[in-house]
Amino acid sequence: MLKPILLVEDNPHDLELTLIALAKSQLANEVVVVRDGAEALDYLHRRGEFAERVLGSPAVILLDLKLPKVDGLEVLKEIRQTAALKAIPVVMLTSSKEEQDVVRSYELGVNAYVVKPVDFSEFLRAIADLGMFWAVLNEPPPGSRRYIKPK
Amino acid sequence: MLTLSPTLGVLQASANLADWTGQDAESAIGRSLGEVIGDSANARLEQELETGALGARPQYLGTITVGNGRHFDVLGHAWDSLVIVEFEAVDRPHPADFRHLYTLVSDFLQKVNEHASIPALSELAARHVRSAIGYGRVMVYQFDPSGHGRVVAESLAPGYDSYLGQSFPASDIPAQARELYRLSPIRLIQDANYQPAPLLPADNPVTGARNDLSFAALRSVSPVHLQYMRNMGTLASMSVSILVKGKLWGLISCHNAEPFAVPVEKRTTCEQLGQILSLCIETREDAGELQFRLDVRRIMVELLGQLTKSADFVDNLSGVFPQLLRFARAGGVAIVADERILTYGDTPGDDAIRNLSTWLAVHGHTELFHTNHLADVYPAARDLMNNASGLMALPISRIHQHYLLWFRPELVQTVEWAGNPYEKQALPDAPTQLSPRQSFAAWRETIHGHSLPWHAAEVELAIEFRSALLGIALERAEQMAELAEELSRSNKELEAFSYSVSHDLRAPLRHIAGFSDLLMESSGSEDVAMRQRFLKNIKESARLAGKLVDDLLSFSQMGRAALRPASIDLTDMVSGCIDKLGVEIGQRNVEWHIDALPTIHADPTFLHLALFNLLSNAVKFTGARDPAIIRIWADDTALDTVVHVADNGAGFNMDYVHKLFGVFQRLHRMEDFQGTGIGLANVRRIVERHGGRVWAESKNGEGATFSFSIPKQLTLT
Repeated sequence: MLKPILLVEDNPHDLELTLIALAKSQLANEVVVVRDGAEALDYLHRRGEFAERVLGSPAVILLDLKLPKVDGLEVLKEIRQTAALKAIPVVMLTSSKEEQDVVRSYELGVNAYVVKPVDFSEFLRAIADLGMFWAVLNEPPPGSRRYIKPK
Repeated sequence: MLTLSPTLGVLQASANLADWTGQDAESAIGRSLGEVIGDSANARLEQELETGALGARPQYLGTITVGNGRHFDVLGHAWDSLVIVEFEAVDRPHPADFRHLYTLVSDFLQKVNEHASIPALSELAARHVRSAIGYGRVMVYQFDPSGHGRVVAESLAPGYDSYLGQSFPASDIPAQARELYRLSPIRLIQDANYQPAPLLPADNPVTGARNDLSFAALRSVSPVHLQYMRNMGTLASMSVSILVKGKLWGLISCHNAEPFAVPVEKRTTCEQLGQILSLCIETREDAGELQFRLDVRRIMVELLGQLTKSADFVDNLSGVFPQLLRFARAGGVAIVADERILTYGDTPGDDAIRNLSTWLAVHGHTELFHTNHLADVYPAARDLMNNASGLMALPISRIHQHYLLWFRPELVQTVEWAGNPYEKQALPDAPTQLSPRQSFAAWRETIHGHSLPWHAAEVELAIEFRSALLGIALERAEQMAELAEELSRSNKELEAFSYSVSHDLRAPLRHIAGFSDLLMESSGSEDVAMRQRFLKNIKESARLAGKLVDDLLSFSQMGRAALRPASIDLTDMVSGCIDKLGVEIGQRNVEWHIDALPTIHADPTFLHLALFNLLSNAVKFTGARDPAIIRIWADDTALDTVVHVADNGAGFNMDYVHKLFGVFQRLHRMEDFQGTGIGLANVRRIVERHGGRVWAESKNGEGATFSFSIPKQLTLT
């Protein structure tokens, strides 16, 4: 059973584009979509509407920086402060490379910081690379299984 | 002179005792007072000496007749662990008649009030002293700050030279003598050719040291002084101290060519005349001082009053140059502020001023510095004597080398010395200490490089002026800080603006590009619905981008535009907003419950925008309700008006209420409720600029109530 990719994205257009990109990258992982920071934390903590979900952490979290209710930085901070979650790779996906955001993200222990390219083919490549690296190539924390691409 | 033990045993006696009483000094020692002066004399004095009431300064105890029939006035004082008794020979068996002296004193007291000036008062005192003691010359002289004495008044008998207006150098009176003059009010040398009579034994038997005869009337004086007197041609002299506020202000100095005794009652009278003169001088000086200070202060107040008007500190100061000049009775004023030098009146050139201020800074003159002889401490000032012999420098910044400089021109002074004061230094063979000068003929000296000295009041008020200046500067700094705060606030808003431009404005552009690519990619595809959706997304993104730009612009304008408050009928304004919402409401069923609303005072355009935002939100978030119920009411208090807008819509999670009014913060999904995240930020900004407050309450899914207050007393920002 492959671990899912958790996609945290509020903007419906961004969501659609990211899902298309992930589909095109032909990753076999399931993509779980949540729409704001509060939902993301509910999912990770298995509470609220996610109380009944299958145990286990996602392979990687693709986290938008600007989110309703609880923003991406707050989510990241909580992940890194929670023992059961802090090993999960987190990739910050954002519209801009404002220096303060980059600095703050790395301070909080982000694994990668990706500015969504305006050009769609670049966006496709970025998402495919991200999925490949974090969901496939990266050695996951102990206890998780590694995805082997079908021949 | 005898010195006695507390039980009136003779401890020491003058070596000349036998000349007066017929008894040897040696044989008197160890005996009782009665055995030395006779029992009847002893009986007269015993009581006075034993009461323990004897003071530390000589007092007249009475007139006695000793065993050999000679009469003496007796003075006693307790000092140096001894009872010191002094006997002055007189030719009468009874105490002196004081009556004519009382008239003299009361006459002086009556006349002092008629004389306003200190020289006139001094002249009056000199005349009275001379008529009391009959000496040939009585002078009143005043010491200047460096200790030189100048004769301000005199009274002369025919044949005596005048010293009026002449100066006696400070070196004429050594420091120890000055200190003694301060402590002891009167001294008399009735014959400069006297033969001193030592005490036997030579040392005070109680202390084992030399006797301290500082206050004894008959003590011997320095041979130098006696020589000085002989050189001056005066064989008798007496001086009375003039003490003002505990300091030796001057002396009443009396000379007579021939030896001349002054009995104790006349000395006492002169002492009293001296005290009255001292008091009068003190009051006159106080009054003069007070008047002077008042004048300087009046100018300072005038100065400060005119200062606060302009913004630039240096310009501000230079605007009151004439008053600054008057304030310090200066010839020229300069302001030095970094590279800027502004001058007024008669000042040195800019370069000289720059060098001078550097010198001041280098020498750490961070407090007020003043001199009336600048060249003395700053040699370069020799070239500046014309306009800068005197300098008062006021640092006007704690951080920068900023000075306010007052210059005083050279005041060429001619001092007429009573004899060349430098002459005694000119004699190389004699030790200067022991050789008073020979000549007292007037000797003129011209003094260069000095200005009028700075008055203590000018210095003190200059410091006060600086405090006031710093106060003004501080006030200005606070204004600057406020401005900076305001700037940083608008800067923060600007940052938020650019931040959101890079985030929120970039997103729809990226979407347009992305869906366009997808649309092109799918050009051969049969999935028409998918392509329709891509097109719809593109259109939506373009519309959103446009709205974002509009909203951002309106938000930034909201921070800048001035508020123009007017009277607003809230009922009219609410119905205006509802009319405008007609298109958005369309066919929906919206129930409006509107209470009677008050009239308030605010900027109509801005308040309309805030109210419209709230009502439009209420309509938007009740989109799923049938009927949508929107209530509007107001609480009117003495302090403010609070307007509430309540709906039965989607509401929000109170956990995130702190983000509700932030720029570009959204608590709902875009596809559920459209918006740019600027509306409530605008509402907050408008309300806060009116000095009011905005808040909201809600239960998720059960509607929300938004409230804002507008104060009755607007504090617009």
